[in-house]
Amino acid sequence: MDELRKGFHNDLDGARAELVRLAASVTELIPRATAVLLDGDLEGADYIIQGDDEIDARSLDLEEHCYRILALQAPVASDLRQVVALMKMIADVERSADLVCNICKAARRIYGHDLDPKLRGIISRMGEQAQQLYTAAIESFVENDAAKAAAIDDMDSYLDGLQKQFVQAIFESHAAGRIDLQVAVQLAVVARFYERIGDHAVNVGERVRFVITGWLPEHQGAARFRQRTDDTGELQRLTTTTPGEPSS
Amino acid sequence: MTTLQDQGADESIAEALATPGLFTTVGLSVHYGAFRAVRDVNLSIREHEITAFIGPSGCGKTTVLRCFNRMNDLIVGARVEGTVEYHGVNLYDPAINPVEVRRRIGMVFQKANPFPKSIYANVAYGPRLTGLHNKAELDEVVERSLRGAALWDEVKDRLKVSGLSLSGGQQQRLCIARAIAVEPDVILMDEPCSALDPIATARIEELMQEMKERYTIVIVTHNMQQAARVSDRVAFFTTEANSDRERPTGVMVEFGRTAKMYSNPSDPRTERYVTGRFG
Repeated sequence: MDELRKGFHNDLDGARAELVRLAASVTELIPRATAVLLDGDLEGADYIIQGDDEIDARSLDLEEHCYRILALQAPVASDLRQVVALMKMIADVERSADLVCNICKAARRIYGHDLDPKLRGIISRMGEQAQQLYTAAIESFVENDAAKAAAIDDMDSYLDGLQKQFVQAIFESHAAGRIDLQVAVQLAVVARFYERIGDHAVNVGERVRFVITGWLPEHQGAARFRQRTDDTGELQRLTTTTPGEPSS
Repeated sequence: MTTLQDQGADESIAEALATPGLFTTVGLSVHYGAFRAVRDVNLSIREHEITAFIGPSGCGKTTVLRCFNRMNDLIVGARVEGTVEYHGVNLYDPAINPVEVRRRIGMVFQKANPFPKSIYANVAYGPRLTGLHNKAELDEVVERSLRGAALWDEVKDRLKVSGLSLSGGQQQRLCIARAIAVEPDVILMDEPCSALDPIATARIEELMQEMKERYTIVIVTHNMQQAARVSDRVAFFTTEANSDRERPTGVMVEFGRTAKMYSNPSDPRTERYVTGRFG
């Protein structure tokens, strides 16, 4: 097949590759932040927090790269969906890096307090699961694999379950007098940070599906909303039908 | 509100069947002698919309456009198969008078082609042919048409000068004024801006938006961004290889709403063409 816009498509591929590198950086930070938290590594915490400036700078450069593509190349069809999806994904990846920093900041606050093995075990598993979600999101993006991207949502349910387990374990540990209230609150917030990182990975997966099919899960809710809104704009009785996802 | 997902080409076919268009072609094929230029075109052009035909050279888009006012009749050896209905009437019915067809369905060409006459005479030409000779009425038609083509303010003080003395963009708008002077229903435009600079092009594109309230417009364009900017629906044509000795035949690949065609086309051939991954 003849390629008429080689320069433009190389440029777009370059933007894609940079997003992959950015997301890979964040993926690597997740286990490091977990180690910082479990080992009380204050030096490691500072290192990760300072490193966030670099993630911010690279995110901004990539966003500007996307603006340039939009302004100069007027992309259409799947090229347009790529650029729009990239801009959305940058926000998710950049925010995930902020959440990693937040875990490190929480590590500083609970420094010197011992955590019991059950709490430590769940923290490890939350860190691993969040990292796996990000790895799957990047792979689905690189491989243009809509099925893999769709599976990330299910993987996220497991992380959500771990968060609930963790909150329960915090209650038990606090009730047994092993951690004070301040530490308990910090730990609950940490669980929330991991859970949010997972949500951002899910968002990246959804954008991968959008690039491939033009479909977003929000289309289901939007279709339900249209169904119960009649011509005059008045809300009708809530319907329970859920429009199906496209097969492609 | 529509989404990328529900603006599908399938939906527009369903819509087309539910509301018959101004033009409906069924199995339209055009031959020039033994050569089949374009085959099996099924589409429905809606009233007060701008429909753009895009595709590579030789894909048959101009040939199909010329079927809508029987301009192909003027080419020796041209033969049309299938039907072209206009308001439900078969345009190629032997009882149909092609001159009347061309009065109702005007055309603007790639190269502005004003008659070597005054601006006034260019616009008054068609109405005079249809028997209008009253000076006051003709003045009114000329003014209304030039206003309709967004040219009046630029030429109202020099209506007696030659149409050929105008700039390229003005000449093209003069041709549009001449086309609308006979109060047609439809304006067919074959690459109307390809010889114009960006400002003259923008002026014509703006004019098309105003015109679609009164007329239905079908435009052939090589400029994909122009089709994206001006049209409501797009038909994408491409070529299909024949045996080695013969030129390729044109086929229509996809017909749908412009926003859908440029954000998430259904056919991979459309996708490849609009993104430039196709030679």
